[in-house]
Amino acid sequence: MNNGSVIELENVSKDYRRGSETVHALRDVSLAVTPGEYVAVVGHSGSGKTTLMNIMGCLDRPSRGRVILDGQEVHEKTEAGLTRLRRSAIGFVFQQFFLIPTLSVLENVSLPSLFVGKPSNGRAGELLEMVGLGNRLHHLPNQLSGGEMQRVAIARSLINAPPILLADEPTGNLDSRNADMIMKIFEQLNQEGVTVVVVTHNQDIVKRCRRKVHIEDGRIET
Amino acid sequence: MSFLKVALSNLRRNPVRSLLTGLSLAVSAATLSVVLSLDQGYSSAVTDDLVNNTGVHLYITKEGCPIEAASVIAQGGLSPLYVEEDIVTRIQGMPELDAVMPFKLFAVTTDDGSRTDIFMGVTEAVRSIKPDWRFAAGGWFTSDDSVILGAEMARIEYLAVGDRMYSEHFDREFVVSGLLERNYSQDDGTFFLPLHTAQAMVGREGKLSAVAIKLNDISNMDYIQTRLRAMMPPDYFIIGSKELSDGILEFFGATRAIMFVMVAVAFVISVFGIINTMLMAVLERRREIAYLKCVGAGKYDLIRLISLETAAIAVMGSTFGAAVGMLLSPLSGNLLRKFLVAYVPSGAIARPDMGIALTAFALCTFIGVACSLYPAFRAAKIVPMEVLRNE
Ligand SMILES: Nc1ncnc2c1ncn2[C@@H]1O[C@H](COP(=O)(O)OP(=O)(O)OP(=O)(O)O)[C@@H](O)[C@H]1O
Ligand SMILES: [Mg+2]
Repeated sequence: MNNGSVIELENVSKDYRRGSETVHALRDVSLAVTPGEYVAVVGHSGSGKTTLMNIMGCLDRPSRGRVILDGQEVHEKTEAGLTRLRRSAIGFVFQQFFLIPTLSVLENVSLPSLFVGKPSNGRAGELLEMVGLGNRLHHLPNQLSGGEMQRVAIARSLINAPPILLADEPTGNLDSRNADMIMKIFEQLNQEGVTVVVVTHNQDIVKRCRRKVHIEDGRIET
Repeated sequence: MSFLKVALSNLRRNPVRSLLTGLSLAVSAATLSVVLSLDQGYSSAVTDDLVNNTGVHLYITKEGCPIEAASVIAQGGLSPLYVEEDIVTRIQGMPELDAVMPFKLFAVTTDDGSRTDIFMGVTEAVRSIKPDWRFAAGGWFTSDDSVILGAEMARIEYLAVGDRMYSEHFDREFVVSGLLERNYSQDDGTFFLPLHTAQAMVGREGKLSAVAIKLNDISNMDYIQTRLRAMMPPDYFIIGSKELSDGILEFFGATRAIMFVMVAVAFVISVFGIINTMLMAVLERRREIAYLKCVGAGKYDLIRLISLETAAIAVMGSTFGAAVGMLLSPLSGNLLRKFLVAYVPSGAIARPDMGIALTAFALCTFIGVACSLYPAFRAAKIVPMEVLRNE
């Protein structure tokens, strides 16, 4: 195992119960992501990509195996401990944007900083500038296009300056032009040192990533 | 960016729902402040009438229900019970008594029921027993047909000293000998007649409604009460003015209970309303809340957020409700006056004040916020994984 990893999965399995049957969403997966890597996770629908992301992002605990995130053993942590770890270490971007409809773009972006106790509008403005929305700070989410909303969501995921960005099909709801714009932002972030793991079906994106992790039926194919 | 700002912005998602929730709490706050005003007002009004504003310390009546006696004495009507006039001479000389006023009280209601006039037959002792019984014009009775008018009656009847006043009911003409200063008691609405004239008008010569007594020194009230009782026939009743008002207030207890049940019902309705609304507000944005947990919102952050949201509604609703309650109290006081079965006091029945407004506000806000706890805990229990749930 590589001790310089930011994310490390060791023989991780995840079972879900669905009625009487057990679904093996992940089977004995081991994976290490080093700082500054840019990883694409690919696989068929139902293969276990989202499950893998959940476990890497501490949104869920594995049924078996170890997870070490940012040098910290996940299974030793309490709920509150996981919350703290998530908010300092990981930015999440999802297919849906989850913007709060009654808050302005700027307020949406600075929202997560409220939970770390140092709300910051200044940094939110800079991040929005970075994703090309510097002129839309005071708009409401419903005044934006889908691509713009996803860029707001990305800016928001970065507000607490996490070293890791996890994105589950971030371009799933976007056309190719907007998808391209999102990927450019990810590439730029990666160049600035952020570790990026992105789940995607989009072949164009996959081609541009330096590392591919292929999942099939809960296993990593090599 | 602050928790309060986020909470307030959440209220704008469904403004109508927030407004209705606030209003339901406002109804509770208003009901509570009206009821508290009436409750406090009625007892002060009764105490003012019977204890503070009269110089009377003791009444002698015929044994019977003290409430009935109270009603009769203070409100009018012709009680079947009466006191013999000759007892006055028995106690007149007692040095402990400052004044002894025998009186005959009765009320006459017009045939169509639209108006009730109160007549009180008095002796000159009334002037020493009621400190604020003073003439604005004219003076004491000059003949058996004299009448003295309370301030309100003088205004309504539009009569001046020396004018003639005809009573259809008794087919008798009176001459106004004096008009009283307004003293904001039952006196304002009363026709005062010479005692013997009043007795004759209702065919009760030699009989009294009661005898009012003023003491030199209230501290030996108990002793005097016992002594008077010993001097009276066994079926006579010596009652303190405080006991009288307490008796009336006891009678008011049933009305009071009904009012507080109303308040309780209003509260139960708004409690369920708030819990339901906030629960809906939480459940319909589960995924958003789940996302907040993904980005590091802890359990207490969410509890704080939801409670603040409810608190904002509660503060607005309670403030509005308490204010409306203060404004409505006088109206409801007048309404209650019409329905009161027991004693109707002369002063304002509803007495709203800042203390009542604050009590209503504080209680409703507290209840509102307490109601948010269950929905808030539900929000706190949402797991971040739910963000990925497909719907
Ligand atoms: N909460 C759950 N309860 C039961 N089964 C689940 C649950 N979550 C996922 N699964 C199952 O686990 C398997 C892997 O699901 P997962 O969501 O990880 O797939 P995916 O690769 O992300 O698919 P997609 O590309 O469609 O998003 C699937 O068979 C799915 O039905
Ligand atoms: Mg998925």
